[in-house]
Amino acid sequence: MDILTSYSFLVVALGTVILAAAAGIIGSVSVLKGQSLIGDAVGHATFPGVVLAFMLTGVMETSILIIGAVSLGIIAFLLINMMTERSKISLDSALAIVLSGFFGLGMALKSYIQGNPNFNGTQGIDDFIFGQAAYILKSDVYLISLISVISLILFLIFYQQIKIYVFDPVYARTIGINVKLINVLILIMTILLIAAGLKSVGAVLIVNILIAPAVIGMLWSNKFSSVLAVAACAGALSAFSGTYISTALTGIATGPAIILSLSICVIISMLAAPKGIVLKKYRMKKLGESL
Amino acid sequence: MIEVFLVLLVTALSASLLGVFLVLNKQVMTTDALSHTILLGIVLAFFITDELRSPLLIIGAAAVGLITVYLIEFVTRSGLMKHDAATGIVFTGLFAAAVILVSRYADDVHLDIDVVLMGQVLFAPLNRIDIFGISLPYALVQLTILLMINTLFVLLFYKDLKVSSFDPVYAAAAGISTVLIHYSLMTLVSITAVTAFDAVGSILVISFFAAPAATAYLVTKRLSHMIWLTLSTAAFNSLAGCALGYFTDTSIAGSVAFISLLTFFIVFIFNSTRLLSKVYKKA
Repeated sequence: MDILTSYSFLVVALGTVILAAAAGIIGSVSVLKGQSLIGDAVGHATFPGVVLAFMLTGVMETSILIIGAVSLGIIAFLLINMMTERSKISLDSALAIVLSGFFGLGMALKSYIQGNPNFNGTQGIDDFIFGQAAYILKSDVYLISLISVISLILFLIFYQQIKIYVFDPVYARTIGINVKLINVLILIMTILLIAAGLKSVGAVLIVNILIAPAVIGMLWSNKFSSVLAVAACAGALSAFSGTYISTALTGIATGPAIILSLSICVIISMLAAPKGIVLKKYRMKKLGESL
Repeated sequence: MIEVFLVLLVTALSASLLGVFLVLNKQVMTTDALSHTILLGIVLAFFITDELRSPLLIIGAAAVGLITVYLIEFVTRSGLMKHDAATGIVFTGLFAAAVILVSRYADDVHLDIDVVLMGQVLFAPLNRIDIFGISLPYALVQLTILLMINTLFVLLFYKDLKVSSFDPVYAAAAGISTVLIHYSLMTLVSITAVTAFDAVGSILVISFFAAPAATAYLVTKRLSHMIWLTLSTAAFNSLAGCALGYFTDTSIAGSVAFISLLTFFIVFIFNSTRLLSKVYKKA
């Protein structure tokens, strides 16, 4: 019980809960559109952005590196869009090519500056990419909350447009919704959340927080608003329990603990949710008996 | 240096050959999933052997690679979620388990994901093996054998692979076991990926699986032509990337991956007017 009332636990838990709830909602859009892995590709593409920002400015300032990361992330996203729209290349191939090509560029640039005496203090770059399991500070919670709240407000303002865009992009276009704008908006929200999550959960694992809550939501409901609500709750709940586990037991980082909690929720939902395996089997059996 | 290039070339050929079918089946991102989950296999094998240079680590990685592939297939086939969502959930879940195991039980050991992710092809020739009295890089021998196995697989099941990639419904109707073909393909992908990760690093392997085949797919629709174009593109990418990395003194794996993206884009831009497709058809 001591942990639940301790100040440092509450700070970390608040940050991860807000982040996971926001990521659950924003991530639902990508999952519903069959673009779950776009966050993964864009996340990898931020690597050369970080290195380039450092090469151009020569300082290891978090805000400057984030600007580099976000710009290259956007370029990668636009390239992916161009590839899938103007050729028969599937989204899946486009993601893999951009992910590996951009990350490769980052590796080449990094090896260049590491062997170059003109650049000093390059050792911090890796921490930025792979995420530090360090404890979240109060200032980080402010940053996470700010980004999450901005994303959620944007999402609420464009809620109707996003909903129509998700389910019927052609109709959305005919009634004059700016599909490109919505697309870029969702991307920017996703990248911002990835950037906010870098420190607390790491670039790879944030992908899970963007996908898993949405999958859970989709197993429990068919209605867009309920899917979002379930996703946000599942994200928040897993973030809380994950943070609790990582605080209570030594040697377990917060990010992985949250992911494991989410994975357990996914497995339970796959079995027990209305659309899950158990009820499906039961309905099939009932159908068989009635015939 | 010539040995480094040979290792690259053989890796490129064996991965891109299977990549053709991954691109056609829209499953290239599975290789990205593999690149992360193999950490779990390495960690588990390390707990058993307590040694960082044991061949068991590679076997463990391959086993978890197979589990990843089967798990993604199983979840997708249950119809509960789409393939991309299943991929994202399975690989991050297994990766998280691996990270926890490392941080809780092996924090003092140098079990670094950088090593797996960045792989140093430059070091590949250092690990050698004697065959018929000739000293060869171990990775080169391993990957040459895999290249032969993969080639044999594609030759033997060419028709089945072709039909199940382009028309799975017809394939099932014609009595071809698409499931068996698919699982065999994914098994080979997993083994090739793990062996190649060890030699050149995971990012470059993903690039080898995806970029050459996608570049070829831009230009042609015929499977036989696509395979030849894929292999040539893979060879070209390795040569150009290797040269770039060598002369600018930068990471060779990174350079090859970046050159692969560039090659794809040059073909993409030239082909936006269908120019290359037409030239290719005439030739």
